[in-house]
Amino acid sequence: MWEIIKTSLPQLLAAGFKYTIPLAIISFFFGLIIALVTALIRLSRQRGAFMILKWIASFYVWLFRSTPLLVQLFIVFFGLPYLRIKGVLPHGIKLEPFTAGIITFSLNTGAYASETIRAAISSVPTGQWEAGAAIGMTRLQILWRIILPQALRVALPPLSNSFISLVKDTSLAASITIMEMFAVSQQIAAENYQPLLMYTLVAMVYAVFTTILSYFQGYLERVVDRQVNANNR
Amino acid sequence: MKLTNINKSFGNKNVLKNTTLEFPAGKTTVMVGPSGSGKSTILRSLNLLVMPESGQYDFDDHHLDFSQKVSNKDKLAIRQETGMVFQDYNLFPNKTVLGNIIEGPTQVLKQAKKEAIANAHNLLAKVGLADYGDAYPNELSGGQAQRVAIARALAMSPKYILLDEPTSALDPELELSVLKVLLQLAEEKQSMVIVTHNMVFAKHVADKIIFVENGEILYDGTPDEFFAPDNPNKRIKNFIASMTMENLK
Repeated sequence: MWEIIKTSLPQLLAAGFKYTIPLAIISFFFGLIIALVTALIRLSRQRGAFMILKWIASFYVWLFRSTPLLVQLFIVFFGLPYLRIKGVLPHGIKLEPFTAGIITFSLNTGAYASETIRAAISSVPTGQWEAGAAIGMTRLQILWRIILPQALRVALPPLSNSFISLVKDTSLAASITIMEMFAVSQQIAAENYQPLLMYTLVAMVYAVFTTILSYFQGYLERVVDRQVNANNR
Repeated sequence: MKLTNINKSFGNKNVLKNTTLEFPAGKTTVMVGPSGSGKSTILRSLNLLVMPESGQYDFDDHHLDFSQKVSNKDKLAIRQETGMVFQDYNLFPNKTVLGNIIEGPTQVLKQAKKEAIANAHNLLAKVGLADYGDAYPNELSGGQAQRVAIARALAMSPKYILLDEPTSALDPELELSVLKVLLQLAEEKQSMVIVTHNMVFAKHVADKIIFVENGEILYDGTPDEFFAPDNPNKRIKNFIASMTMENLK
């Protein structure tokens, strides 16, 4: 048993550092940008043509939260090549597995995180917007310098949870041929006929990754707490 | 600073009805009246945190017609000239006391940080909080927080300071520390508009008193006449008596 662990663990870790971690970090980065933009659109008080944008943002959040991540991955990777439009997309949209993974995970994370960010921004008292406005700050200045730092403290724990979930969810990328950690464990199990050992081993590696991330989450929360000091009077 | 025929409603309730008021420069105008009478709405209209539905607003060279859209440029310019102090302070909890005070000057007026900090130290000394620059708002008492809020408003060198019940969240001892600062500002001829329920303070500090009830101006004149025992307006007499608890006798 130890021999199998000794030979397969480096392969799993290599796949983890080459695919699992980059997939999670890059997707989370883009997911956060999508989430912030979506949350701001949905919170905006603009009317008129802007309502269309609000409707699109709401539809996007609804769509990605109400369908399984695995199905989303399949649509983007296996489905989009069949999205053929004469003259515009004669060959559909063919994506590399890693790119398809990044796009799907980013959109999925963006939908969930946008709700977290929306709630966090809403939790900052209106008085903070007013205090900024009262000294002549623009809405963008107030948002960036006053509201978001306070919202960050509220959003950090749920966002960290989303990131930890995302690390585990990247195992679904195995289904679109990305050779990340879980895919490698499947491959090794098929070769050595030790599925219990291999899947337990890969589970332990995920557990170690997420435990380190949880520890880092706690540290980050303490840092933000110190800096943001958000106990409004 | 003058509001002419302004109207404002929230839902079905007409909070201000054709209100016309003038706020003289270099003077302290005190607005009194029962809760929900429209005092704060008037004050917030002066800072454009509330937009009346109709009427005019003259402030220096700015002439606003509320029945038309007020430009962002006018809005920001007037807000810079009318510092607002809120009942519940609304200090930025993510910034130190110094950070709170220099935020407007550095971000809005584009003042150099060094200059803004020097000015902030002067203002903190003025409000009796010289040693509190590095403190966070949650480390301050209510009276201290409100004095920081006053310093923050003063840092923008506004023409007017608007104070919305600045001491109603404070116990009497802390209230006194804030009132002393306001008295000092009044002596320095800082233009102020104060909404308060404290009749003793109003009598002491006001150059002009406005009494508001149900969105209507029932009195607009000198404090001497307002507080005169022979004020013919029974409603005002009753109001003063209830606010100073004379009816307990």
